[in-house]
Amino acid sequence: MTKYVKYVDVTKCDGCRACMVACKNWNDLPAEPTDFLGSVQSHAKTTADTWNVLQYIEHENGKGDLEYLFRHSSCFHCTDAACEKVCPENAISYTKYGSVVIDQDKCVGCGYCVQNCPFEVISLKTYKDKNGKEYRKSHKCTMCTDRLEEGLQPACVTTCHTGAMEFGSKEAMLPKADKRLSEIKGRFPNANIYNPQGVGGTHTVYVLAEKPSVYGLPENPRVPASAIAWKDYAQPIGKMMLGATTMALVGAFVTNRLFNKEGRSESQDGGGSHE
Amino acid sequence: MQHTDCALIIGANPAENHPISFRWLTKAKESGGKIISVDPRYTRTSAQADVYASLRSGTDIPFIGGMIKYALENNLIHKEYVVNYTNASFIVKEGYDFNDGLFSGYDEAKRVYDKTKWAIESTPDGKPVTDPTLTHPRSVFQLMKKHYSRYDIDTVTTVTGTPKDDYLKVCKTFCETAKVGKAGTIMYAMGTTQHTVGSQNVRIYAILQLLLGNIGLPGGGINAMRGESNVQGSTDFGLLFDNLTGYLGVPKATVPEHVTLKGFLEKETPKTGYWSNKPKFVVSLLKAWYGANATAANEFGYQFLPKGNKNYSHINLFKAMYNGELDGAFLFGTNPVVGGPNAGKEKEALGKLKWLVAIDLWETETSAFWQKEAGSNPANINTEVFLLPASASFEKEGSVSNSSRWMQYRWKAIESRGEARPDLDIIHELALKLKKMYANSPKSADKPFLAMDWNYGDGEEPNIDLVCKEINGYDLKTGKLIAGFGALLDDGTTSSGNWIYSGFYPEEGKNKSKNRDNKDLGGEHYLNWSFAWPMNRRILYNRASADPSGQPWSKEKAVIWWDAGQKKWVGKDVPDFKAVTAPTEPGGTGAFMMNKDGVALLFAPTLNDGPFPEHYEPFESPVPNAFNSQQLNPAAVIIEGDFNKKGDKKKYPIVATTYRVSEHWQSGSMTRNQEWLSELAGHMFVEMSEELANEKGIKNKDQIIVSSARGRIKAYAMVTKRFKPVIVNGKKIHEIGMPWHYGYKGFATGDTANRLTPHIGDANTMIPEFKAFLCDVRRAD
Amino acid sequence: MSKQHVKPDMQVKRFSKAFVWAHAINALSFCALYITALPMYIEFFDWLYPILGGPANARLLHRIFAVTFVSPTVIYLIFDHKGFFHWMKELVTWKKRDLEFFTEFVKELFGFKFKHVKQTFFNAGEKMNSILQILCAVMIIGSGFPMWFPAYFPRAVVQWGYFFHNVGFGLAIAVIVGHIYLSVIHKNSRPGYTGVVTGKVPAWWAKEHYTEWYEEEEKKGNFPNLDDPKHKKGA
Repeated sequence: MTKYVKYVDVTKCDGCRACMVACKNWNDLPAEPTDFLGSVQSHAKTTADTWNVLQYIEHENGKGDLEYLFRHSSCFHCTDAACEKVCPENAISYTKYGSVVIDQDKCVGCGYCVQNCPFEVISLKTYKDKNGKEYRKSHKCTMCTDRLEEGLQPACVTTCHTGAMEFGSKEAMLPKADKRLSEIKGRFPNANIYNPQGVGGTHTVYVLAEKPSVYGLPENPRVPASAIAWKDYAQPIGKMMLGATTMALVGAFVTNRLFNKEGRSESQDGGGSHE
Repeated sequence: MQHTDCALIIGANPAENHPISFRWLTKAKESGGKIISVDPRYTRTSAQADVYASLRSGTDIPFIGGMIKYALENNLIHKEYVVNYTNASFIVKEGYDFNDGLFSGYDEAKRVYDKTKWAIESTPDGKPVTDPTLTHPRSVFQLMKKHYSRYDIDTVTTVTGTPKDDYLKVCKTFCETAKVGKAGTIMYAMGTTQHTVGSQNVRIYAILQLLLGNIGLPGGGINAMRGESNVQGSTDFGLLFDNLTGYLGVPKATVPEHVTLKGFLEKETPKTGYWSNKPKFVVSLLKAWYGANATAANEFGYQFLPKGNKNYSHINLFKAMYNGELDGAFLFGTNPVVGGPNAGKEKEALGKLKWLVAIDLWETETSAFWQKEAGSNPANINTEVFLLPASASFEKEGSVSNSSRWMQYRWKAIESRGEARPDLDIIHELALKLKKMYANSPKSADKPFLAMDWNYGDGEEPNIDLVCKEINGYDLKTGKLIAGFGALLDDGTTSSGNWIYSGFYPEEGKNKSKNRDNKDLGGEHYLNWSFAWPMNRRILYNRASADPSGQPWSKEKAVIWWDAGQKKWVGKDVPDFKAVTAPTEPGGTGAFMMNKDGVALLFAPTLNDGPFPEHYEPFESPVPNAFNSQQLNPAAVIIEGDFNKKGDKKKYPIVATTYRVSEHWQSGSMTRNQEWLSELAGHMFVEMSEELANEKGIKNKDQIIVSSARGRIKAYAMVTKRFKPVIVNGKKIHEIGMPWHYGYKGFATGDTANRLTPHIGDANTMIPEFKAFLCDVRRAD
Repeated sequence: MSKQHVKPDMQVKRFSKAFVWAHAINALSFCALYITALPMYIEFFDWLYPILGGPANARLLHRIFAVTFVSPTVIYLIFDHKGFFHWMKELVTWKKRDLEFFTEFVKELFGFKFKHVKQTFFNAGEKMNSILQILCAVMIIGSGFPMWFPAYFPRAVVQWGYFFHNVGFGLAIAVIVGHIYLSVIHKNSRPGYTGVVTGKVPAWWAKEHYTEWYEEEEKKGNFPNLDDPKHKKGA
């Protein structure tokens, strides 16, 4: 199956935020008014109700020139997704398009994905059921998988008017990024393609004008070692140990039945050390 | 715009305020086009630009004036274009003079010029006297050169505060487009127009573009980015106080000749150029308005037209209101308590009305001006307010015209909610009811209203198709729609509600504004997508894309050309020219056919404040004018007294400007009621430099008070590196900027920036000076 | 019950009230924590969610029991600090006989012939159990806090918290399963089970299993001398 990539060229973005509104519109997400943040930016980061946030960054580059940088930030849809790994309910899965989605019916709101996402794009939302009881669900960008299923593109990509975002097969998008990088190197010497291999590559691939850290992105994100130790070793071993102990005791029970019929046999000989 | 080699963006911030235009600039960039951003603040447009230069608000004329001098001195002009297509070679009559900021003919008491002192010398048969060598000392070219010789780079940059290196980079980059085969465009918006020299700001862009040969070509021109999606349509349809529909002027009681139609037409119709057809347009308009009541015997109803002698601009209407001279007002989708200049006074003015009808989608700060929340005492206000709910654009059909003059029809997407109705329905029903009420009125004042031919059906809803057809016009003898304005006559046998749109509905069932064929027929003009007035021409003055002999200046920028075989102009666009006039025929090189002599005006003896743009400081400025001893535009109308207090630069030393954000539209009455937009831009803020913040002890996110002579507001401080103080004549001048969208209604609320702005307008258009005024800031606590 | 030894109803006090309570609360909390988290650990048990009142409720219960799980240490410390420190001391005292115990223990476990190795208040197995449980509890409680309040801890701590919670739990459950088996099911330890509930154990059993301790108490006069004929029922 072809894997798809949302290719984001931040150097073409003019910060209009139509992607944010298009996302809320398609996904029917409520507004989330915030306090004044001291810049044009509306939300500090993505939340359960705001799946993409446009970052505005004033950065003085190596030459001391001011760069005003923008980035559409949302879920990266990692090939090797930490959220998928740590979800205890298998509520998070990979789709055939390469997107990573959360099954809202299975999600129990434990928040393990929230804490383990290397990009910190997942959040919990608290709901109230009809009895007024609170419960939580985990939310993030779905790459509009429901649109992809209908042959459409993600809402943010469709609405982007400067062509800063494109959506297509991985094979088509990655060369575009390479080409674009060579074009902008003159203006942005630190420009780079952000498709981190530590998480097996992502299905949102960026051409960044500056180093990832300037955008608050990890230079080399990976699935946390703790998550690997936990999910690949501790949990299976734990389950095995639980099984093994249980088996040992079942064995003990059975052997006791077989060899210890008269009960307190120890007192007859072995137990008599004090006698 | 996608074909441009260089876009000079000044007085505009398209990346934020006209983002769709930026889509085309992004395309231009991909094909190697350069972008220059000139702005007091480093904006998102600047971030996308190849060259950025700062300037102090209100110094566009020095900035461009210096570029003109640079282009002339370095011979970076398209000389053949200048000689043939502009009035550079015309000889100005003796008596024209310019001295220390004043042109000849100034009447200091009235603050007006006698424009006859700026006339062009003409031959006995009425043709202009020219010197194609451009060397005659009284030629427009030499006078212009002399005028702008004073705009040397040092003086310019000490006035604008632009770093010299940046300034030179702008000059060099943009003047590259003088080369044949290159085209540069200038994009501007309200940062240019909302000044006491707003018209002259645009004029000086035109002069530069003409010198570089950049008008009439793809990727050239001067692009006004409108403040609203249908500003073009509203001005085309006579919404401006000084124009009848189709830019036909207005009869004035102060002009003796205007007493009769004959006199008006004789006085206002040039002998040559396309405007020589003006009588046909005026008579056809009168026929459309007054129908059978317009006859040759009654001057086609000319006397029904009001002949005021006042300036009916926004500022003056509110001044009259403030002085208690108006009984009532209809406000259609307008919110002056947020959007008007010196908005605090405009709010007070509303309280002097007996009645106010507000037609809007929501209750706005204006229709609620009497409420406690607005800071009013309802007990003291006797204005009766009616709020009529209006339909939004998606809830009705009709057309909008964009700044490329495309009239695009839109269909209704959803039904109106509640009792909301389209504006047109409201006007229609009102007209029908009033006609009935006044039917037997003997008063002569009611006659014009009763004479009006209101023929759009008798139902509550007007027949929009009938409105469309009236705009296009009929041959009244046959009753058939006319093919275009070429068919209009001045004998009362044709009608047309707006001559410039004539031809958009040439036959029954063929409303071209509904055209939606997105196939490109060449040059990416998409001629079958909507209708562009006049006669579906997409690039105005496209005759200038070809040389005098009729061949394109360059293959890359070819639009139309003379085909000697077919004996007509052919090409990718509809010629903005008489299609059968050969280049060799008289007028065959008159690329600017709307003008009297077929050429563009470097020297424009028609404006109120001088034939050449000259720098004057804004109404409120922190510095004296360095170019002449006239501080303020000598032709600007000054309103004094309580209605327009002026701030002293000692008390208010900081320059302030206003602007918009992407998420909000105008006074925000629509967008501040939209939650998704309100969450994105939810707070009133003031942008300022780190330097100013340091001086004032203000930290980012602090609440601050901004005050001017007219009011004070509270807002959040947005301290940014994108604002820098400018050094003007060795003195550090701070500038701050703020959005003007906010009010107390809706989801996103905040103080109204326009409580600070002054009641002063441009000398020609009376557009208020929102973009440069003085203020002071301090921390709120 | 053996006839040749002592009166079967002869009881001696082994545990203080505080210990009994502490142990009971601890045990019940552990079970509750186990059940409320089980569907998170093994998907097979997702059917527990509706029983627990949904995931949010399960989480709430888990947190309530987390608090009760921590409380026994405090109870034990406040109401029987002597016992507590004695326990602590025992845990760090290891002698040769402790090692011998294990070889014999395995035999006993599977019902083979074995001999008793003299033990103090706690036998080596119990000491091992205690040490493992304390270790697990520290791991579980320590990691539980960052999991509960992730906003107050560095991300890495929270992430490793999941790991240690998981490891601690895996270990604890293995130990507990053994512990419960020995106390509840394995017949040789059954008196120990009643002991931890009532605080008292049969004297003969105490002497057999914790000879050194018993003898010490006997010397102090706290416990009867089982070899004294007056205590012999049948003889």
